[in-house]
Amino acid sequence: MSTGQIHDLGYKRYVGSRRSVATRWRVIMRHQMATAWKTWWRFKPWFILSLLAIGISTALLYAFSGTLFRVFLRAGGAQPQFVAVILPLSLFWSNAIAFFASLFVAVPAVAGDIQSGAFTFYFARSLRPRDYVIGKLVGIAAMLSLITLLGQVVLAAARLGLSDNLDQVVDLLPTLPKALAIGVLGTLIFSAVPLGFSALVTKRSHAMALWIAYYVVFGAMVDRLAHATNPAIGALDLSECLRAVALELFDLRMGGRRNMDLPVGVALISIFAHVTAALALVFWRVRSAQRTGVGGAS
Amino acid sequence: MTALIDLEGVTKRYGAITALDRVSAVVDGKIIGLLGPNGAGKSTLLKCLLGLLPYQGRARVLGLEASTDGALIRDRVGYMPEQEAFLSGMSAVELCTYAGELSGLPRTEAMQRAHASLYYAGLEEKRYQPIDGYSTGMKQRVKLAQALVHDPEILFLDEPTNGLDPESREEMLRLIVDLPERRGCAIVLSTHLLPDVDRVCDRAVIMHRGAVRFAGTIDELRGARGRDSELLVSVKADAARLADALTTAGATCKVTSPVALHVDLPANKTSQLVFATARAAGVQVRELGVRRESVEAAFLRVLGDDGAAPRRPLYQVALEASRGVAGSTSDGGGR
Repeated sequence: MSTGQIHDLGYKRYVGSRRSVATRWRVIMRHQMATAWKTWWRFKPWFILSLLAIGISTALLYAFSGTLFRVFLRAGGAQPQFVAVILPLSLFWSNAIAFFASLFVAVPAVAGDIQSGAFTFYFARSLRPRDYVIGKLVGIAAMLSLITLLGQVVLAAARLGLSDNLDQVVDLLPTLPKALAIGVLGTLIFSAVPLGFSALVTKRSHAMALWIAYYVVFGAMVDRLAHATNPAIGALDLSECLRAVALELFDLRMGGRRNMDLPVGVALISIFAHVTAALALVFWRVRSAQRTGVGGAS
Repeated sequence: MTALIDLEGVTKRYGAITALDRVSAVVDGKIIGLLGPNGAGKSTLLKCLLGLLPYQGRARVLGLEASTDGALIRDRVGYMPEQEAFLSGMSAVELCTYAGELSGLPRTEAMQRAHASLYYAGLEEKRYQPIDGYSTGMKQRVKLAQALVHDPEILFLDEPTNGLDPESREEMLRLIVDLPERRGCAIVLSTHLLPDVDRVCDRAVIMHRGAVRFAGTIDELRGARGRDSELLVSVKADAARLADALTTAGATCKVTSPVALHVDLPANKTSQLVFATARAAGVQVRELGVRRESVEAAFLRVLGDDGAAPRRPLYQVALEASRGVAGSTSDGGGR
C-alpha cells in the first residue's frame, strides 16, 4: 500500500490516436475468450471432453471403414451403415458437451456483469450497447465453436479422408458443408440463447438455473408432449430442432420415432426465433443498463 | 477559451418528473465540487454530460456537444463511480488495461498506463492480486486508477472518499489535489462530504431540485455572506471578560472557547470598537477577522428552506404526480 507519498512513473499526456469506436467490440470479444480460457473449470474440461469424443468417433469411423469390418458384416448379411450414421450421431455428445460449456461460458456473461456492477465500468466509456452485445456474442461463439463446430468438421474431414477412392470423395464432399451448417447452428444456439437467459436475471446462479430448466427440464417435457400430441410442439425443444435439421441434412430416419416428424422448416424457424429473441433481450437489457448504470444513486 | 462544461437550458424529464429544469451554467476551474442533496439532479446531469441520456437544451463538455459527441466525450473523460464497478476475478492491472483498451488505447499503451495509474494510486505492490480480495480503500484506489488510465482531461469523481478511514481519506484527497497539477486534468467532485469540498475544491456548483442554485468559487460561496460587522476574535485569555465588555458597548457576542468569541458589531461601528474595548478591559487581542460561513452553512443557505424539507422516495413522487396531488415536487433520489 501507499506510504503516503505520491508516486508517478513520469507521466506524459497521451498524444497517439485512439482506436475507432466501431472496433471496441473486439476488445470485449478478446476479454470474453480470455475469461473463458483462463479459469480451468469454465471451458477447458468440456473442450477436453469434446476432443476425447472426437477422438473416439474418429477411431470408430476408422474401424467401421476398414475392409475387414465390412467383410465381416457382409458375411453376416448386415449392411455396413455405421459409417453413415457416426457423423450425425456425434451431434448427441456434441450437444451435451456444448450445453455444459454454455452453462459456464455463456450464461454468466451478462448476469455476471449485472451482478458486479460492470455496466457502469463499460458504459462510462465510449462503448455502445451493440459493441458490448456483439463482443460478448462473438467471444462466446468463438469458444463454443471449438466444441460444436470443430467436432463436426473434423469428423466430416475424417470421413472424407477414409474414402476408398476419388469417386467416393466426390460423393461425400457435401458432407463437409452439411457438418459446417450443423456446427454453425449449434454454435448459434449455445451462444445466443443462454446469453438471453443471462440477460433475464441479475444473478449468475439464477441465470444458470433458468438455462438448465429451459434446456433440460422444459425440453424433456416438450419432447414428451410432442410424442403424445403434435410433433411440431417439439420445435420448442432446441436440441430436438438441431437433431431434426441434422437428420434431414444427412437424410437419416431413426427407428420410426415420432420426433423425427418435426418438420425441418419449423425447426429452423424455431432456432432463429430463439436466437433473435435472445439477442433482442440482451440488447434491451444492455441498452437500459447503459442509461441507468452510470451515475447511480448518490 | 473553451469552458470545461457549458450548459444552456438543459432540461431532462422522466415522464411527469422534471429531473433537470432549464439548467444553465458555465463551469470551469481545476477542482469543482458538484453538490446537492439526493435527488438534486447531479446523476442525471452527469449522464447527460456523458451523452448517455437525451435532453433538451445544449450541454457542451470540452467544447463537444454531449447529445451528438457522447462517445468522443467519454474518451476524454474519466469516471470514478461511487458503487463497486469491477469485473470479478480480475486483478487491478488486468482491469485497468482492459479499461484503457475499451477507451481506445492500443494494448501495449494501455498496459503501460495501467501500471503507471496503479502506481500513482498507491497500489504498486498489490496490483497483480484479484480485486475481489481488496479492502474498501484499495478498491477506491483501483476505481481512481481505472478512471485515469486513458489519460482523461476531466475526471468525474463520485463520492471518492466514501467508506474510507481517516488516513485513506487523507491520501485520496491528496491525490485529488495533486491530479490537476501533475496531470493537467480538471476534476468534478460529486460528494456529500462538505469538509472534503472545503479542503480540495476551488469552485462549486450547487444543485437542488433539478436547478443550479449556485456556481462560482468557494470564496464566493462562503464570502457572499461575510460582512465586516461579523467578526471572529481570538484573544490570549479571558474571552468572557471581553464579551461582557463588548456587550455593554452594544455588540452581540458569543464565546466559543476561553480564547475565542464571535462578535456582531452594532450599526455604524467598526472593528476599532473591539480593539478599544479590549484595551479598556485589559484583554490582549491575538487575531481578528471577518467571520465567514463554513461551506456547510453556505450550502444550507443556498438550498434555503427547501434543504431541510423531508425527502420522499421517487416512486411516491411519481405516484403523486400521476394522481395530480397538489404540492408534489420533482424531488427524487438515485436517478
